[in-house]
Amino acid sequence: MKPFTVFPMGKTKLLCAAGAVLLTVLAVAGLFTGKYPLTPEGLLAGDEMQLRVFMTLRVSRTLVGAVGGFALGTAGFVYQTVFHNPLASPDVIGVSSGASAGAAVGILWNVRTARSGWRPLLLTGAAGVTACSFAGALAAVCLALALSSLDRSRKRGSIVLAGIAVHSLAQTALLCLKLLADPERELASIEYWIMGSLNGISGYSIGGNLCLCAACLVLLFLLHRQVLLLSAEEGEARMLGVSVGRLRLFVLLTATLAVACVVSLTGLISFVGLLAPHAARLLTGRNDSGTMFLGGILGGVLLIGADLLARTASAVELPVSVFTSLLGAPFLIFLIVRGRGET
Amino acid sequence: MKRRKRILSALLALAVALSLAACGTNAEGTAAQDPEAVLQESDAAVSEEETQEAKEEQPSSAGTESAEETVYPVTVTDQAGREVTIEEEPQKLVSGYYISTSLLIALGLEEDLAGIEAKADTRPIYELSAPQLLSLPSVGSAKEFDLEGCAALEPDLVILPLKLQSAAETLEGLDIDVLLINPEDQELLEETIGLIGTATNTMDRAQALLDFSRGQEERLERALAGAERPSVYLAGNSDFLSTAGDAMYQSDLIRLAGGENAAAGIEDAYWAEVSYEQILAWNPDYILLASDASYTVEDVLADPNLAGVAAVENGNVHRMPGDAEAWDSPVPGGILGAVWYFCVLHPEACPEAEGEAAIREFYETFYGFSYGEN
Repeated sequence: MKPFTVFPMGKTKLLCAAGAVLLTVLAVAGLFTGKYPLTPEGLLAGDEMQLRVFMTLRVSRTLVGAVGGFALGTAGFVYQTVFHNPLASPDVIGVSSGASAGAAVGILWNVRTARSGWRPLLLTGAAGVTACSFAGALAAVCLALALSSLDRSRKRGSIVLAGIAVHSLAQTALLCLKLLADPERELASIEYWIMGSLNGISGYSIGGNLCLCAACLVLLFLLHRQVLLLSAEEGEARMLGVSVGRLRLFVLLTATLAVACVVSLTGLISFVGLLAPHAARLLTGRNDSGTMFLGGILGGVLLIGADLLARTASAVELPVSVFTSLLGAPFLIFLIVRGRGET
Repeated sequence: MKRRKRILSALLALAVALSLAACGTNAEGTAAQDPEAVLQESDAAVSEEETQEAKEEQPSSAGTESAEETVYPVTVTDQAGREVTIEEEPQKLVSGYYISTSLLIALGLEEDLAGIEAKADTRPIYELSAPQLLSLPSVGSAKEFDLEGCAALEPDLVILPLKLQSAAETLEGLDIDVLLINPEDQELLEETIGLIGTATNTMDRAQALLDFSRGQEERLERALAGAERPSVYLAGNSDFLSTAGDAMYQSDLIRLAGGENAAAGIEDAYWAEVSYEQILAWNPDYILLASDASYTVEDVLADPNLAGVAAVENGNVHRMPGDAEAWDSPVPGGILGAVWYFCVLHPEACPEAEGEAAIREFYETFYGFSYGEN
């Protein structure tokens, strides 16, 4: 992997501008695409229902697509840089599997509390699943980081190993939960959640997640120089007076928090975190903060584009990961064929 | 055993004949009937039914002389298209599917069951009608079927859902007769009832069950002549945004009950995911929640994303009762789902007492308990 530099060149800026235009076009298309017939005339005339659909459903869905895709793309870039691994993604330290196991707990909890008639506040319905999934993602990350801190050498590899262990644990927990699940109701819900979808997003439920996610993203861009240092060899970074272990933990925790905010709302969204940073690097030929920003924009483009297909390709809502994977899998094969193990 | 079944069948035919007659007379406010007259009527009803049944040929069976009694060995074609020859009347049964277990209770075969599917304690109908089933060994579920456990029970006949076809083939290799059933819609459910009735020599009771369903269907059809059909959004079990498309059993029930499924344009054979704005675009007159919904009517009424939907504005959001079993699944009492929907959608044509009477009568006749008194 090329060393990280902090000099976005003119080409990168141009690409970022082009990406932003594409993102805006897709976002506008997203605002006016959907099952409810919205017309500019109706909106301008103040039709109450049209305004409600537009403001609470369309705008929030598009916003989650743009911010969520941006977060996944940026976090993927950070992971790949920090781990020196072109295949690194939030899965590496178990955040996705932790979120899945958490969501499965939330789904089972929902059904069973409803059956027993007990309705604890804040822990029921979609909000309960979001909260459980967020807690699962955080628990997985904290466990991975705690396990890796047991290794005093504080090498990058120890986080990856701890992440693999936590990922396996979370997958096992998920399997057990699926086994407990009723095949008619709960199992289908868990599977559908794992496939990811922006369906069900509404203005009433996204505020907290989006604010936290945006804060994490701002922090990551403020820390872009530190991310640069983490991309260098550990010895060099230490010589520059950086506490490599702590900084790495902080950067990873921030990136993971951003991802957890997104996936707890949408379910798992595959390949955006892997695909967007690689596409950005292929386009700029660099590994700098501008490329990190472009990775985020491309993540947004990919997620909003996939969501547009997911809501229009059929009479029903399709899982968004179907389309991100359709684009992502061939790209991964392309990477393997090109032998770009070290981008 | 056979004698007991015959007596039971005659009594059952009597009860069904009575119930159908009562459906017609209740509306006119006729008084209770004389028991002796009823007995005479029942004999007539039984003999008439026997004659009728003898004329009918069961589509999925061969080797039966009449619908009343199965002559063994009998060869039946199950719902996977497999031909299964049953040498003798099965005395020991295993059911790996809640629908077949419920059906076996309705056919009066609960004492013959030696094992049933997992999670039996989540089905109130067992507790209400045959609590002894809860202590039977479990043979697992469609996810994890316990082949060895099932074989160890040495059953004469095993009834499994279609999705357990590979398990059926293995059991067949162990010389155990298996019937695969697939009651995915009303027609297939009726076929299932006929198939199991023939295989277990309970066709008379099965016929009574079918007659009850058909009687209710005809009653609804008559009551709905010329009525308007309100649009209905059927909300799924675990998620409000999942709904039943046209190919699903629930959609059939809505049609029978005089409603129009808002999601009729969706062709998926399983719960399909839709968006809030799709529901707003449909603007259904009624929102009906599945009986096992993991959310409540209050949740739906309070959902700000649904403000403005006609059903919410008018308070037409209801949840199907699930006190005994989920009528929105193809269980033997599934027709009661249509009866309940009908009473909700057309209260003017269905006095509450009439709907309740049909439900009570069904459970008293086929399951031996008083619905609503538990």
